[in-house]
Amino acid sequence: MIESISNDAGFNEKCLRLSNLSGPGLMPKTACAQYPGTHCSFRAVAGSLTLIKNAYALLLGPAICLYNAKLSMSVRSLTSDPRPNNLLFLEYTQDDVIFGFRNRVMQTILEIDRIYHPELLFVVTTCLQEIVGEDFEATIDEIRSIVKAKLLVIHTENFTSEEATPGIENLFSSFFDLMQPETVVPKSVNILGLWTYHARETELALLLKSKGVEVRNAIPSFCTPSDLAGATGAQMNIVLDQYALPLAKKMRECFSTDYIYCRKPYHPDSIEIWYRDLAGALDIDLSEEIRRMKTESLEMMARARSLLSGRSCALTWNTGRTFDLARLLSEIGIKIDVILAQTILPDDQEDIRKLLSMGVDPWIFRGDNSLQTEALLCRLKPDIFVGGQDPQSLARLGIEPCSISLSHSMFGFGCCKEVLSRLCRRAPGIEALMYKEDLISQGAV
Amino acid sequence: MDLKHSGFPVPSDYFGVLWGLSGIKDLVILEHGSPGTCSYNAFNYRIMNRQSPKGKLFSSGMDQDDVVMGRADKVVEAVRELDHNLHPRIIALVATGVTSVIGLDLDGIISEIQPLTHARLVSFPHGGFAGDYNQGIMESFRTMVDLAKEPAEHKPFSVNIIGPTIDSFNNVSDLAEIERMLELLGAEVNTVFTSRTAVEEIEQMASASLNLVTRDLGLETAQILKERFGMPYIHGLPFGVHGSVRWMNDIADNLGLRLEKRTIAQELLKYGYSVLELFGFMQNFDHLRSLLSCPCDYALGLAGWMAEEWGLPPSAVALPARPQMPHVPEKLERMGVSKVLIEPESLTIEDALNSIKPHVIFGSSYDLQIARNVPVKIHAAFPAFDYIYRFDGTPFVGFRGHAYLTQTLVNSLNAHPEVFLS
Repeated sequence: MIESISNDAGFNEKCLRLSNLSGPGLMPKTACAQYPGTHCSFRAVAGSLTLIKNAYALLLGPAICLYNAKLSMSVRSLTSDPRPNNLLFLEYTQDDVIFGFRNRVMQTILEIDRIYHPELLFVVTTCLQEIVGEDFEATIDEIRSIVKAKLLVIHTENFTSEEATPGIENLFSSFFDLMQPETVVPKSVNILGLWTYHARETELALLLKSKGVEVRNAIPSFCTPSDLAGATGAQMNIVLDQYALPLAKKMRECFSTDYIYCRKPYHPDSIEIWYRDLAGALDIDLSEEIRRMKTESLEMMARARSLLSGRSCALTWNTGRTFDLARLLSEIGIKIDVILAQTILPDDQEDIRKLLSMGVDPWIFRGDNSLQTEALLCRLKPDIFVGGQDPQSLARLGIEPCSISLSHSMFGFGCCKEVLSRLCRRAPGIEALMYKEDLISQGAV
Repeated sequence: MDLKHSGFPVPSDYFGVLWGLSGIKDLVILEHGSPGTCSYNAFNYRIMNRQSPKGKLFSSGMDQDDVVMGRADKVVEAVRELDHNLHPRIIALVATGVTSVIGLDLDGIISEIQPLTHARLVSFPHGGFAGDYNQGIMESFRTMVDLAKEPAEHKPFSVNIIGPTIDSFNNVSDLAEIERMLELLGAEVNTVFTSRTAVEEIEQMASASLNLVTRDLGLETAQILKERFGMPYIHGLPFGVHGSVRWMNDIADNLGLRLEKRTIAQELLKYGYSVLELFGFMQNFDHLRSLLSCPCDYALGLAGWMAEEWGLPPSAVALPARPQMPHVPEKLERMGVSKVLIEPESLTIEDALNSIKPHVIFGSSYDLQIARNVPVKIHAAFPAFDYIYRFDGTPFVGFRGHAYLTQTLVNSLNAHPEVFLS
């Protein structure tokens, strides 16, 4: 049945076996007419700047982008990870396209400085200004001396890449402009690529703290412009995702701040290595903590195996090492039918090799187009969908949704346990949803 | 001032076009722009009653090369794919800001590929630079009503409802109540233009005998249908007992039907309870002040009802968009409204709240956020990002709307008994 995928419904060359994947890079597009498609740099940047304290972000763009940015933050305010309301908006109109935006931008920055007194003001562009090509750096330079706030411009063009990566890298790199040389404090670190307001309550941060390691900054979370300025006083940067790598490299080049790049693992063995590498780099002993937490995780894996072994799943892209997550799922007996991925990173190769060596060779498919994804899921019919997807559509296909969104801002064994616990515990309301959708699909109502 | 913080950036005509088209079956929207814009829209549909544009809205996935070279290959390929896979009757090509700025000629593309496409292609080229969302909704109405044909048959007791779009606040319940009331009269709904319609239904709009315009944005459409097919129309929503009876009588007169007194009596026995019946003797409410912040049809209807039946004219009314009909401020003033604000900034609403100190506010989620110190907050306008109105039993209009809203007001005030202290 599965083999027919490649011959049916236009899935040719779009749905590959993992073993046939040629290497890192973007997966092939699944359709010319896309929905929802990939999300853009502007959206990623607008959503992240809210994490910086004592700062405001002035978003410059057409109403299309600004309205959606405001709504996203408003919806976020209703979640367990709300963001401060520090976004300001200046609409880019047709007159601005024709006559230039410079004067309005300058006046608005002066107004913000006077009314809100931010320590730092980010000025964020959208792709429209990038195409028009107005030089915002020059505009900002003109008023920099009369504005009390520090000013940073972030470009978020979305035409140079199909991903949000360039904008997020620009965001990280902009922090570099705030940094000043500082005397290095031994046993102190910055954590780069930690994206939650609760950064300092994560397992990683708490564990480091318990060993006397000072976390100077969790970037971009929970840091002030002054904290960022002093980031160079850290002994080392712990880089948790690829977006923060350019900043880490720049800091090493200019301030000799060493870094360790370690994307988030999910499997207990990988987490153990991850912690041992960190402990080695920082010259601390985490062996007792690792042993205790790993034992708990393995016990949980055994319980999960007894409940879930033999079930099949589709796995969507997650924060950190998705193929390591696939390994975790495989080891508790879940058969992975498909992994929905957009971009394969060079450092995913090692995890892919491990997975293949276990005899696990799922389909791999770009998951950014809902209709194509649903058509594929309809053919594969996995029992569970792990990750974010519309629960109603899944339930209508008879697939049980399992959201692991809370694990996105978790690290270490805590993250592994959170994923296992979500897999073992059905989401509240899921039975009623599946029952209803089953009846609807049978035409009972 | 141009800077926005506590309020929200007003959605542009681009959004109005999307919302005006999204309720039409057999029509798909292909926007020519970067996928980021399309992806972002998942949010804005979601806050409108948890809707999704899946299967309705698509992006051509424009990239840097397309911008530099002014290429249209991607949109052409996407049209071909949608035409082949989904077989829509219409594919609407919608410009985004970038398409508009680089001056890509969507009509030129259409004339090139229309002969090879089964679906009819229509263009919306403004890309968010032609004004606010109301302009986009009117543009979509104008384009779509052009599909109406001479009818094959004439339905004497059939009406079109013109105005609701997928962004209309409380549209599920309000439409259910309007349809129920029409049924009481012996009339039927031909189509709901555009929140619940199909291309074929739009083509057959002129088979109905009357157009009911529920929103000022639909007046131009009704006028077009009057000029082309001689169709009469009535504009307004049935708010309160008086308003509902008047509305039903107007429709009955136009369709040659009769509104039976028995029918009204039965409705009022069920749904006609006044505030006096629901408040207790010791609950003093004649001092209550309120502020309404809703589009003009809701504002006129609610203000009239509140003044006429609750005896509590709103102290101020804020209209988020300039009305498409004359004399709205004067009408509101005649109802006893002392302050009318048109397209106010959030700071202006804040000032009004500080000076009036209302006990009750009706408005959008953002209005209610600003009104931190107002005890009773009732969602009554778009956008409502923290409020769901999917259930069809919470109308604001009609007899059931009268009952529901009167009861809601009394319950909400009871939860804040301090408001009864004058």
